Amino acid sequence: MTGWYATTIIGISLGLVIWSAALLVTRRAPDLVLALGGVVLELLLIGFLIGGIAQMAGSDQDFARAEFTGYLLTGTAILPAAFIWARGDKSRAGLGVIAVAFLVLPVIVLRVQQVWAGSGV
Amino acid sequence: MSEQSQPPRIPSTGRGFGRVLVAVYAVFALAATARSVFQITTKFSEAPLAYLLSALAAIIYVVATVALARGDRTSRRVAAGAILIELVGVLVVGTASLVWPDAFGVATVWTGFGSGYGFVPLVLPVVGLWWLRHTRSH
Repeated sequence: MTGWYATTIIGISLGLVIWSAALLVTRRAPDLVLALGGVVLELLLIGFLIGGIAQMAGSDQDFARAEFTGYLLTGTAILPAAFIWARGDKSRAGLGVIAVAFLVLPVIVLRVQQVWAGSGV
Repeated sequence: MSEQSQPPRIPSTGRGFGRVLVAVYAVFALAATARSVFQITTKFSEAPLAYLLSALAAIIYVVATVALARGDRTSRRVAAGAILIELVGVLVVGTASLVWPDAFGVATVWTGFGSGYGFVPLVLPVVGLWWLRHTRSH
């Protein structure tokens, strides 16, 4: 669970953290870049989930499988949940919620990698 | 997931900056709960005190998240209580983990004042209490 795919997710996510922060600071509304970035990221995370489970199924390595699956599932759920919660507040706070979600995603991808490498909880 | 019925008045602690605060609390609630369930079901005997503390922290985060999101009068009191316990917890466990490094066996979310989580566990209750105070007159 290492390599370019995970790194891409982390990169896009951090890029979107910076972009949301820039929108927040300049008091602009969420834009197309943020929306498209979010959709691309979510698709990548769904791919990460499918790929991760396939990789887990094909491996006889000893690692925390339940935890691994939990992190992968959480990764796909975070953006939709943040979107629903953000929609309830049309002020800049909604954008803040989205920024928090983008900030949490790299942590989750790193945890997925750590659990895969066997250094889980 | 469905938001069919809109509440007549949006609670103040879950509005504006509170929206972001609830999101951060929700992340900690989810992470702490999942971690705690995993620890207690798979290896409770290894470090019972640490895992019980983690479970306590998880419950407090869940209660604080829900109470801050609801934001009515009772919820504000519940949130204040939960966040106060959270603050005392992170200060006591943080201090204890420095004075007696071996007391807990393994790290908890509050070990070293939350240093394993970028000190967010230390900052969060302070911000939470400030937010409750800030929104009191609204």
